[in-house]
Amino acid sequence: MSQEAFDAVRLSVQVAVLATVLNALIGIPFAYVLAKRRFWGRAILDVAVTLPLVLPPTVTGYYLIVVLGRRGWLGAPLYDLTGWTVAFTSYAAVIAATVMALPLLVRTARAAIESIDPDLEKAARTLGRSEWRTALEVTLPLARNGILAGLVLAFARALGEFGATLMLAGNIPGKTTTVPLAIYTAVQTGEADEVLLLVAVLTLISCIVLVLSGRLGARAA
Amino acid sequence: MEDSVDLAITKQLEGFTLDVAWTAGDGIAVLFGPSGSGKSLTLRCLAGLERPDAGRMVVNGRVFFDAARGVDVPPHRRRIGYVFQGYALFPHLSVGQNIAFGLRDRPRAERQRRAQEVMERLGLGDVARRAPRELSGGQQQRVALGRALAVDPDLLLLDEPLSALDAPLRRQLREDLDRTLRDWGKPAVLVTHDLSEAYQLADRVIVYDRGRVIQASSKTEFLWQPSSERVARLIGLRNVLLGTVVKATPDRLQLHWRGQVLEAVNSPTRAYLPAAGASLAFFIRPEYVRLIRKDRMAPDAGHHMNLMRGRVVGEADQGTTWSLRMRLDEPGPAAQGEYDLEVEVPSLVYEILEIKDDRQWEFSIHRGSIHVLPS
Repeated sequence: MSQEAFDAVRLSVQVAVLATVLNALIGIPFAYVLAKRRFWGRAILDVAVTLPLVLPPTVTGYYLIVVLGRRGWLGAPLYDLTGWTVAFTSYAAVIAATVMALPLLVRTARAAIESIDPDLEKAARTLGRSEWRTALEVTLPLARNGILAGLVLAFARALGEFGATLMLAGNIPGKTTTVPLAIYTAVQTGEADEVLLLVAVLTLISCIVLVLSGRLGARAA
Repeated sequence: MEDSVDLAITKQLEGFTLDVAWTAGDGIAVLFGPSGSGKSLTLRCLAGLERPDAGRMVVNGRVFFDAARGVDVPPHRRRIGYVFQGYALFPHLSVGQNIAFGLRDRPRAERQRRAQEVMERLGLGDVARRAPRELSGGQQQRVALGRALAVDPDLLLLDEPLSALDAPLRRQLREDLDRTLRDWGKPAVLVTHDLSEAYQLADRVIVYDRGRVIQASSKTEFLWQPSSERVARLIGLRNVLLGTVVKATPDRLQLHWRGQVLEAVNSPTRAYLPAAGASLAFFIRPEYVRLIRKDRMAPDAGHHMNLMRGRVVGEADQGTTWSLRMRLDEPGPAAQGEYDLEVEVPSLVYEILEIKDDRQWEFSIHRGSIHVLPS
């Protein structure tokens, strides 16, 4: 394996892992709140979280630039303050992967949480548990398999991210060139061996992910 | 003595209004009524799982809810035990862990001791480590009961505790439940739409109909002195009939019905004196209509009370009894469709009297068996 290929794989795995961790921290609370609570703006939140799933990745990438780019809503003040911008850094790859994979986790986790018999939660309340403790001791443990299935799917999505990553992070070998981007470059430059290797790696990981997710999903039922 | 439960609440749902007020003392209060009449909703409000729109709920002197003062104690602070219709046992915990679930705030040794004690009392010692799904329906019910009782609640709430079981099991478990509840001696409120269940388990019966309470009384009063025609129908009483008052005294009522003049006993707890000509509902239990044997002539005409003549126009074999539909010889439309009275006779009597072949009968009803229903 060439150095570039190795870097691409290493970077992809790092980005996907970080993105999945971030998604777990953001997505599980979102999923719980969307599943359980009625509040003003709930529909808006629901749509916002689902958008990256439906929009073309380059469109999402564009919005990311609008917000985080050097002249973006958040990016401009950041640049003025520190002289640093997130665009074209590894952090951008993580952010792009996180945003693109979030809807998958939220939807799957939310469905898992909603499928828990509400009487179980009510029973926990009558037995002295606050809403918070009920979520931790009853709802989430019972929804665990569904949530894990969601995390596995999110990991796979983060691993395969291309369009938004290219927009916000660019295609910089060693810094932001993840495996999907490396495949793209390799095909453009006609490096057949490189392509085959990278494609094989990604396909293998995707197959493992599918099997794992299916097993977890079945156990959740 | 202070009431265990003092409740007066309203709640508006789509297409349904709950507006109920009742009290219950020690012992078991049964909320009885058809499905959808608001019984389970009331129970959930008592538990804090649903919030009434207005009103007040006081349990054992503690104010659980008071809309006017903005009091609404959350469910986890009410110290009540709740047995759900489907038991709601935690599938990811063992039987022992389920039962100990409410005891988390106690020291470990005490928690284990208490859980052990509960399991032993309910005959669950052997299955402590099993998962709930491995248990039979009866065992699951006992686990649900044990889990609710382990925390020593002030009040026990049971939502159709026997509905999830098959009929033969239900009867056995009804007795077990009766015994368990009386052993533990906690005030309880139990919801059911099954009359036998209500009758066996209740000390007090609160009858629900379409979101309102239409009777609240002791068990015997409920069955023998339903407060209205509607209650009588909910109990499933047969021969709920309409007559006209001829004469009313504190002891006796004379009624005109289907060309007959019937004499009934006036209700002992109510000095009920309707005016002559007033409409009056009454019921006669089918098993209290006496068919007169033809080989034994009556000593005199006045010997049999409320004597009538009629013929059998329909019958059904119910195993140990026969249900007969009698039409009076009196001309005119019958009181209940094709027939006037439903009569129930034991199978033995049916055979001895050869009712299959002999359809014409005289029958009598004791005046104490004609139960008047105030409107």
